[in-house]
Formats: sequence, C-alpha cells, structure tokens
Amino acid sequence: MYKSFFFILLLVISFFVYLWQQSTSIRFAYKISALQSEYNNIISENDNLRLKINSMLALDKMYKIAKERNFIVADEQNTVYIE
Amino acid sequence: MKRKKSLNRKTVLAFIVLSVFFVLFVKLIYIQIFLHNKISHSVGRMVNCQTVEVPKRGDILDAKGNILATSVKKYNIFLDPKIIEDFSNIKDVLLKNGIQVKEKNLSDYGNRAYVPIAYDVDSSVANNIKMMKLRGVGFESKYVRKYPEGKMLSNILGITDHHGNGLEGIEKTCNNCLLGNSVIASTYRDGRGYIIQNKVIDQSKICGQNVILSIDRNIQYIAEQELRKTFEKYQAKKAICIVQNPKTGSILAMVSLPDFDYLEKIKDLKVLRNAAISDIYEPGSTFKIVTVASALEENKAKLSDTFYLENGKLKIGGHTIRDDHKIEGKVSLSKAMEMSSNIAMIKIAKKLGVNDFYEYIRKFGFYSLTGIDLPGEAKGLLLDVKHWNALTLPTISFGQGIGVTALQMINVFTAIANGGVLLKPYIVQRIGKYNENDTQENFHTMEIRRVVSKETAYMMKKILKNSVDFGTGKSAKVMGYTVGGKTGTSQKVDHLTKAYSKKFYTASFCGMLPAMEPEFVVLVIIDEPKGRSYYGSSVASPVFSSIAQSIAQYLEIPKDDISKNKI
Repeated sequence: MYKSFFFILLLVISFFVYLWQQSTSIRFAYKISALQSEYNNIISENDNLRLKINSMLALDKMYKIAKERNFIVADEQNTVYIE
Repeated sequence: MKRKKSLNRKTVLAFIVLSVFFVLFVKLIYIQIFLHNKISHSVGRMVNCQTVEVPKRGDILDAKGNILATSVKKYNIFLDPKIIEDFSNIKDVLLKNGIQVKEKNLSDYGNRAYVPIAYDVDSSVANNIKMMKLRGVGFESKYVRKYPEGKMLSNILGITDHHGNGLEGIEKTCNNCLLGNSVIASTYRDGRGYIIQNKVIDQSKICGQNVILSIDRNIQYIAEQELRKTFEKYQAKKAICIVQNPKTGSILAMVSLPDFDYLEKIKDLKVLRNAAISDIYEPGSTFKIVTVASALEENKAKLSDTFYLENGKLKIGGHTIRDDHKIEGKVSLSKAMEMSSNIAMIKIAKKLGVNDFYEYIRKFGFYSLTGIDLPGEAKGLLLDVKHWNALTLPTISFGQGIGVTALQMINVFTAIANGGVLLKPYIVQRIGKYNENDTQENFHTMEIRRVVSKETAYMMKKILKNSVDFGTGKSAKVMGYTVGGKTGTSQKVDHLTKAYSKKFYTASFCGMLPAMEPEFVVLVIIDEPKGRSYYGSSVASPVFSSIAQSIAQYLEIPKDDISKNKI
C-alpha cells in the first residue's frame, strides 16, 4: 500500500518538477530575449557613437576649426622634439 | 476497532487524493498525447512568427583603421490611428523626443492604419519612445549608410541604393563581401505580445565583412586639399591626383574632381565618375619616359647620344612638329628630356622602330586594364600598329595621339621607381569579418611583368631627377628632398573642329620622392586650366611640390638633399 503511495507521489513530484522546469525555461527565455534586445541596442548605440566620434574627427572639420582659430602648421625650425 | 476505523479513513482520503491526481494525470495524457497535434498547430499559428534579420553592411576603413563608410541603425516611426487610445499623450511623448505630430485630432488621419511621422530617428530616441509602451506607435528599423569624412573619397567609395546595394566605387566592387547574410529568425509571441527569441542570432556571423583599403586618410586629405585649391584657382574642367606606393603598387590616395558630397542631392551623375580610372587623356610629355626607357632598354639609344634638334622645327608628313624650348645645335639625351624636346623623342622613337615601340607601349600596360579593384576602368586608346601612318609614331613618341588613363600613367612611373617591374595597382588591402582581427582575405603585391632592367630604370630615374633639377620640372622641387619627375602639357582635340585646339590643354606632372629610392609616386593632372598659364610646369608641378612636401613630412621620410635645403 505504502509502496504504491510513494510510487504515485514520486510520479506526481516528477510531474511538478517537469512543470517547474518548463516555467523556468520560459522565464529564462524572456530574460534572454530582453538581454538580447538590450545587447543589440547597445551595439547600435555603440555604432552611433563611433560614427559621431569619426564625424567629429573628420579632417575637413578639424581643418575648418583650425582655420577659424588661426592655427598654423609650425615651422620646422620652431619645432622642438622631446625624446 | 478504533484503530481500524482510522486506517480506513486514511485509506479513503489517500484514495480520493490519488484519484483526483490520477484523473488530472489521465486528462493531461489525453491533452498531451491525443490532442497534441491539434493544439500545437493552433497555438503555433498564434504564437510563432518569423522575422527577417537584416544584416549590418560591413564598414569601409582606411589603412590605419579609420572609418570611411559605416552603417547605423535608424528607425522610421509610424502611427496606427485605428488602435490609438490616448492621442494627446502620444503627441506629448513624441514632442518630448523632438518629433512633432502635425495633425491635431485623431480623426484627421481618416481611415488610414499606417501614418509615418518621423524618418531616420536615432536608436536612443526610438528606445526612449519604445519604453513608454504607447499603443498605436510602431517602429521600423533599417540600416542607413554614413560617410563620416563627408566629401573625401566620394568618387572612390561610391554610393549605395535604398536597399543597401552598392552602385558605384568600392561599395559596388566589394558589394558581396559588405552585404552579409540575411537570416530568417523565428520568434514566439506570448499573450501580451512579448517576443521570445527561439534562437539567439549571432550578429557577428550575419554581418557584412569589413573592407580595409590601402588609402591613407591623411595622405588622401593632403592630396585633396592641394588639388582642390588648384582646381578652383584655374577653374579647371577636371583634376586628378593619384599617390602610389612604388614598392607594393598600393594606392595611397586617389582624387578626382569634381566630386560630390553625400549630404547633398546628386544632380549631375557625371560627378560619380572616377576620372582617375575611367577617363582617358593624351599624356603629352610625361609619356616621353616610355619612349626613352624603351630605346635605352633595346640599346637603340645611350645616355651619351646627342641629337640635332632642327632649330625647334621638324616637318613630318606635311605637318610641322615644334619644340616649346628652342635649342640650337646638338644636345644629349638627358638634356633633351630636361628641355622636353619633341623632336628628340621622334628621333629616338624612329631608331626604335614601329613594332618595337608599339610592343613597349603595350608592355608598359597601355591599352590594357590595370586590373584595379574599382569599377569602370578604361583601357585607353591606341591605334593598332597595322593602321599606323607616317605621323603616328612621331606623335605618340611625345605623348599625343594616344589615350591613357591616369592610373596607367602613374603605374609606368611606379615601374621605373621600383626598378623596372610593372605592378598591379590595388586599393583593397584586406577583407575582414565583423571583428577586425579576423581577416579573411589579404591582397598582396602582384607583379605583372618586368618591363625594363634595373639598369635602365636607374638611368631613367637619373634623367627624371635632372629634369626636375635643371629642366622643365623645377617648380616641382621639394625642400630637403631629391625629386624625379616629368612635366606634361598636351593639346586637347577640339570636338567642333576635330583638330588640336590652341585653347584647351591638359597640364600634368608625375614625379617620385626621393628621386633614386622613391617612397611614393604622385601624379597630378589639371584638365583645361583657364587663364594664361596652362603648362604642366606652371600649373601641375607646384601642386606636386606641395603634396610631396606634406606627404614626406607625414611619412617622416629622412631628408636626402641636405645640401639644397633652399629651393
């Protein structure tokens, strides 16, 4: 009698373990999806920032800024190289 | 008795509990096994959805890893008025993020279900709006091609269409590598509309590969700046500049003017043309190195040979060929090159003979594609040797009556600079995957053929050096460095009269620095300069000088002409 009871109990517990595992995997799937989209957002934001940096450092822009501020190329004789 | 009763109660209770679970268990088996197909099919239709993951187009980088072209994710935002619940809230949220909705009321949209309200919105702004979970606001993501350097290299990089396919330049040549692979991703959608990824897609595997060019952004900028100044000063029709590494054949800079700005609408499709490889021109005196090198190689001429220059006038086939610089008496071969004598070239070419001369022209790569990895390369114009008349050999000997591309011309100077080997010019240095360290394909120096011996190349370099030191190329001198080069001024054919024009000229200069062990070769072409000055020596040589000076400084090339620090 007890043997069959424990057997059925084991069966029921296994079933609930199965259910718990299923729900956990779904929870993880949600989490992974959220992290994946966050990761993609970070990558695209990173791309945007990289573009911004490169646009800011574009040689033409630098030249215009240098011209506005009256920068000139230093004469070779006036250049001191620090070793 | 009491004990027996309690045992019975427990048994009954256990039986009831187990029966309930057993019934549930049976029902579950029935649902899971017998109704499985039916239920999973209908659930599948509700929750499964497939989306196309569009890959990011690969970047184009310069030799130092600076970004020349990249793709960034942008969003188009649209409204679905049919499911909007709180329109004023939506308007407020959008306004806070810098997007203004023109319509005052929801009814203004009529019966439409798709109303685009903002294009190319940054991902950060789109994410801010997404977080508000507004019902009736939708997003469409796409990749937009950006060129952070603006105008620079526009003719080389080319353009893409709205779907991201390359139409011109590197974008076209390397389209297959840059594109990447689209992937159909299956996802699950739950009852609340949340999406669960079925499979995590590794973006690095579907993204296009990066293309790394041999172009150096700084050298390109130097060349472009200097060329643009002259192009504007002389109101020229076109201007071209190429900088090549003579040791590898790699292109360090390539400028074709007029060019276009990516931010402006392209009105004239001609600006897309890369004149450096697609347009042909008559090279004029720069071609003389082919005549002289061929004759020296074939031992039909020596450096010590002297030529009588007919007092600057020579009649051939009813035409009179003139020298710009009148020289009386006899001059040496080197002096003839210094003074850029047409008559001396005719005499040298005649010594060489028609067949040998034609063979050398072809050997130097003219009337053949160089094979550069850019679209639209022209192979030039050259009359078949069978159809040459009495005037063909004399005119070609000083660079008229032959059509060449700028790339072919600089490639000849490069061959002389590296000791006589014609190299295949290349602009794509490497094709790597999304991760820059993971290189898939490398492009190395490729020798086409040896055209002249080392000795001939050495003699030619000496002649070119003298040409700058004492001849027509004086204005190409660079302070502190020895320079070898040749000027060129060619008459253009007037399409109305179909004769050589006295108004339109092409001024050019091709030179190398340092003269005997060149680190780089530069070709400058100014097409149809306006004004009194149209000579290669006065229009193109100074541009070469400025470009070469800056590049030598940038590449930290040791000065080799300390004795002549002043020009």
